[in-house]
Amino acid sequence: MPDRPAIEALILESVQMLAQDFELDALKSPTPDTALYGEGGALDSMALVNLIADIEEALSEKFNLSIALADEKAMSARNSPYRSVCSLTDAVIERMPS
Amino acid sequence: MKTIVITGSRKGIGKALAEHYLATGWRVIGCSRGEGSIESPNYQHFALDVSDEDAVVAMARKLKATHGSVDALLNNAGIASMNHALLTPASTVNRILQTNVVGTFLFCREMAKLMRRTQNGRIINFTTVAHPLNLEGEAIYAASKAAVESLTRILARELAELKITVNAIGPTPIETDLIRGVPQAKMDALLARQAVRRMGEVRDVINAVDFYLREESDFITGQVLYLGGVC
Repeated sequence: MPDRPAIEALILESVQMLAQDFELDALKSPTPDTALYGEGGALDSMALVNLIADIEEALSEKFNLSIALADEKAMSARNSPYRSVCSLTDAVIERMPS
Repeated sequence: MKTIVITGSRKGIGKALAEHYLATGWRVIGCSRGEGSIESPNYQHFALDVSDEDAVVAMARKLKATHGSVDALLNNAGIASMNHALLTPASTVNRILQTNVVGTFLFCREMAKLMRRTQNGRIINFTTVAHPLNLEGEAIYAASKAAVESLTRILARELAELKITVNAIGPTPIETDLIRGVPQAKMDALLARQAVRRMGEVRDVINAVDFYLREESDFITGQVLYLGGVC
């Protein structure tokens, strides 16, 4: 099972690739604290949809993990798991099989 | 080689569509509850229930790993149950909604993810003239296809930014297992409500699908095309 640094690296790489596709200068050199969606974030809803799909695909390809990040838990969470690289990393780890 | 996914490809219209697109140079990915019935080096079959989310996701992941992307999806799989509403059990309602609505949605969702990078994706859903004609005895089947039409129109908007078109075809009755057992008198009455009063043929469906698949059809989305002059 991948550890936190591995998950975080995968998400950072996904954000970088998305930033190139969508020409988002603010996300070309992301860090764990980089805001993604919501207050201060550079992603619009369509870019977020693409990022979530990219991360789910990458988790499947690299770690053989089948994880749905856009589940009911995410939709109803008081603090959106999509707000930063760090919160997305938390969301992946929470959904990994124990 | 372009890749097209066709659900319900073991028999009937789905099998005919699969054979047609194999003959015209596509790689065809089919699926059905049972094993496949098409032998071709360019055909790959998945045995699954289209409403089984885990199975559909696993299929999409395999396609991504094997082919990278998908160019088109024909959501052909569907079931019907013709009966008076007073004689229709909830289990039948659930079964029809699961296959026709949930199955169509899951394939739209997962295949759209695989079409994102092609910038020219095509999704074609299957509805029925039973919906606009409000056919008695087909309440649940027609209602399920009404849901498919609504899904088609909304997904057309949601997926437009990804350059994916989403349209639907509503065939008239065609000689397949789906209408086997429908009394002739009922069939004649149905045909009488069409502008062109004949049974549909697979070639009629292929013609409409070909139209939606054309590269030049990238400005056509969210449309429902009924065959036979039904409106």
